[in-house]
Amino acid sequence: MLDSITSLDLLGADILTTLLFLPSLGALLLLAVPAEAKQAIRAMGLLFSGATLLVSAKIALRFDPATPGISGFRVDYPWMESLGIRYQLGIDGFALSLVVLTTLLTFCVLLVAAGQDLQRFKGYVVSFLILETGMLGSLVALDTILFYVFWEVMLVPMYFIIGIWGGKRRIYAAMKFFLFTLVGSLLMFIAILFLAIQHQKTTGILSFSLLDWMNAAKSNAWALTPGMEALVFGAFALAFLVKVPLWPLHTWLPDAHVEAPTGGSVILAGVLLKLGTYGLMRFALPLFPNATMKFTPLIVGLALVGVVYGAWVAAAQKDMKKLVAYSSVSHLALVVLGIFAGNAEAAAGAIYQMIGHGLTTGLLFMLVGVLYDRRHTREMADYGGVARQVPVTTTLFVIATLGSIGLPGLNGFIGEFLILAGVFKVNVVWCAIAATGMILSAIYMLTLIQKVFWGPVTQPVNNGLTDINIWEFLGAMPLVAGIVILGVYPGPVLDLLKPSITFVLEAARLHP
Amino acid sequence: MPISIQLTSADFWAVAPELILVATGLLLVLLDAFAKFSRPSFPYIALAGVVIANFSSHYTPGKFFAGAIEASDLTRFVDLLTLMALALAILGGTALLQRDNKGHGEFFGLLLWSASGLMLMVKGNDLLIVFLGLELMSFGLYVLAAWYRELPEAVEAGMKYFLMGAFSSAFLLFGIATIYGRMGSTQLAKLAELSGTHSPLLDPLLALGLLAVIAALGFKLSLVPFHSWAPDVYQGMTTPAIAFLSTAPKAAAAIVMVRVLQALAPAGLGEPWTPLLAILATISILYGNVVALAQRDLKRMLAYSGIAQMGYAAIGLATFTKDAFEGLLFFLAGYLITNIAAFLAVGVLSNGEKGPHTLADLSGLGKKRPGPAWVLTIAMISLTGLPPTVGFIGKLVVFKAAVDQGLVWLTIVGVFGSLISVGYYLRVVYFLWMKEPGREVNLPEEDVLSGASYLLVMAGMLILGIAPKALLDLARAAASAVSLAALR
Repeated sequence: MLDSITSLDLLGADILTTLLFLPSLGALLLLAVPAEAKQAIRAMGLLFSGATLLVSAKIALRFDPATPGISGFRVDYPWMESLGIRYQLGIDGFALSLVVLTTLLTFCVLLVAAGQDLQRFKGYVVSFLILETGMLGSLVALDTILFYVFWEVMLVPMYFIIGIWGGKRRIYAAMKFFLFTLVGSLLMFIAILFLAIQHQKTTGILSFSLLDWMNAAKSNAWALTPGMEALVFGAFALAFLVKVPLWPLHTWLPDAHVEAPTGGSVILAGVLLKLGTYGLMRFALPLFPNATMKFTPLIVGLALVGVVYGAWVAAAQKDMKKLVAYSSVSHLALVVLGIFAGNAEAAAGAIYQMIGHGLTTGLLFMLVGVLYDRRHTREMADYGGVARQVPVTTTLFVIATLGSIGLPGLNGFIGEFLILAGVFKVNVVWCAIAATGMILSAIYMLTLIQKVFWGPVTQPVNNGLTDINIWEFLGAMPLVAGIVILGVYPGPVLDLLKPSITFVLEAARLHP
Repeated sequence: MPISIQLTSADFWAVAPELILVATGLLLVLLDAFAKFSRPSFPYIALAGVVIANFSSHYTPGKFFAGAIEASDLTRFVDLLTLMALALAILGGTALLQRDNKGHGEFFGLLLWSASGLMLMVKGNDLLIVFLGLELMSFGLYVLAAWYRELPEAVEAGMKYFLMGAFSSAFLLFGIATIYGRMGSTQLAKLAELSGTHSPLLDPLLALGLLAVIAALGFKLSLVPFHSWAPDVYQGMTTPAIAFLSTAPKAAAAIVMVRVLQALAPAGLGEPWTPLLAILATISILYGNVVALAQRDLKRMLAYSGIAQMGYAAIGLATFTKDAFEGLLFFLAGYLITNIAAFLAVGVLSNGEKGPHTLADLSGLGKKRPGPAWVLTIAMISLTGLPPTVGFIGKLVVFKAAVDQGLVWLTIVGVFGSLISVGYYLRVVYFLWMKEPGREVNLPEEDVLSGASYLLVMAGMLILGIAPKALLDLARAAASAVSLAALR
């Protein structure tokens, strides 16, 4: 049945191209819809993001985990022939898992938006659809210039989402987000050009393809000196670590999260941050194994600081969104630690945690948004004892929290356990420090629940609080389902990730 | 030596586009004098002239008029760019001019004549023809700068541009004379022959001549330190005229600079010329971007942005390889479309040509006038150099050639400049879409012609950013008309 629904492989285009441009096509068609026709805009947004979700589901069902390298559904056409730039796409288990996360979260965000009363609704939907193309493109592009194009395409819609539909300090936050991200990525752009020229000079082939570059890196056929490798690795790592964001590059994140509208926060935390860690594993590690080795102590050090710092600062927050934002800093630092630990368990845990964090934090931001829409405040002190008024919201919030703090049986446990187990093998002290972050996360998240939901109602206004509406509920349910399924039945996903992890670690000469 | 020149029809076909533009301009001036009632049809007549000129641009490559003029894929590329700039300026500018009842025949006539001078300048294989072309181009623009002659700003713009222009012409002539005195010829092909494989640029007199030529063309390009005219002229000049002036003549000046440098250094640039051009690029990028941050008048802001953008073009000049020239041509074409788009939108989203074009007046116009607001937004993204726009591809090709020649530091200066430029380009986007409307702005009526211009520039900026192959191939063919050797 799925085949018949998604046989809209556009005009014979291959399935990855269909996946990429279906959202953009929706955005383009939406331009013809008048801004007043809210119902039509809502329907179009759900139709196109839903169809994209189905296409990604079809890819997931058809994908064979045994496919070697990044060769699933490979597409390869010349794009700018004279410059050696190609339209080259491919997918592996790692990218696939994040693709599904992306399409799912975008669909859920548009479901939630359907129940919200948003100004300039059409622009909102169009921005998310274009953003979706950018995110998916970054995940499946194999040509580095193509990757860079999609990477930058994400910037402008997100700038609009924060800048138009954001809170009071939205302009500051939007600009800060834009500039921070751009600093890293522009240097990466020069590094990409440099590598292509270096590849051409040493091997005689002008190519921007990641696969060609990985071959060159394997035996250092492109003759990078240690100094050059360190600089180029630095440029790539900076671009990705800003996006993650790793302490001390994280300062844009709390601002962006707090000011962004609910949907913006969900996508930002759910997908955009993961693209940073995805980039590290896809580009920085496999291409520069020597520099990776050299920089590991530094990055691990920063990650350990980040785990504790993020959690510590989160514990001091009074604003719910800020609290969740800082918890992301802490959780993502743990993911970075898992990546640089250099063994298969930690790497598997890192990817698992990326997916899991996307679901739990996405859900947390969604539910904070639900409360905010009704009370227009995010201060914990303004709530208190609202569990009786909003039982469904409370239940969902508790599930998300337990998933986030790593309760066994929910998704967070598996990812964190694997990371810690992997790190333990490498260095016990690292593991101990990282575990502190986990303990703190339980403290601040449970405190949040206690202050907001339990106890007696402290403010009479909250007696009239209405519970989650049907659209919001529909948007939250898939995430809840994901949290539970990934928690009790991790086998298929871990099997899917295994070949990718071996592939990355072998390229990075970190023997799994 | 007696000179006998046999002119054939092929000679005239080589300059057919110029001749048609001149004739169309004459027709319009005469119509304005003797048949004033036909004024509403002027833009259409001018457009018809542009279209016919485009179709007449089918000459066979070669030398004409006894070697004074050289036609090639490069000149055809420039013809195409110039005619495109003309068409866009006429399409988008007519509504702005008619609003003030300023759409006289002379306006279109001067614009077309100026364009014909521009095309001739690039075709010139003789430095004197280059000079003549440049003067013909400039005279039209001097008058157009003061088109709103009742406005003090416009008179100031005209006067300033004229005086500074005369100054730079003197430099150019001095440079040409010096080169002639040293080498005994003004023909570019002959100069390249005489220069042979060794670089004669270490000869002090010749170096002085070349320096004068670079200064004169640097003035047209508004590279720092030859930029001081730009902000005032941009501010005082009427929108369609400045949309043209800020794009096509700069492209032509950059191309002529490549041709002159190639003739005097056929074996490739070296010390001290590469560092000199690299320094011009660096200070133009940094100065233009930083000063643009402080501007509140959109046209002044675009003037400083133009200074910075020409700094990026100068990266291509400093690199000076075939790839770099190809990249430069692509960059210039992309800049032409993007900058005209920006000016046309700025012209529409304002209180009219007679008042200032302030940033504050853009407040909230995104909702009121989505068409031009989107044009301006995409133009700003393209000028920043972000994908998926033509501005990104332009910087990509220029930077790639520079990295290939080991000028990595220059590209880092470039991206650093782009980062600064976000500050003012995105501010425009912010005013358009995220700010509440300020004072009432009296916007002009939308007409079919400007609607067509929006569609064209939007398509140009986005389609060439997503599928740039056709333009890349054109630029490659055009670049091979000048044989550039890389210094290794």
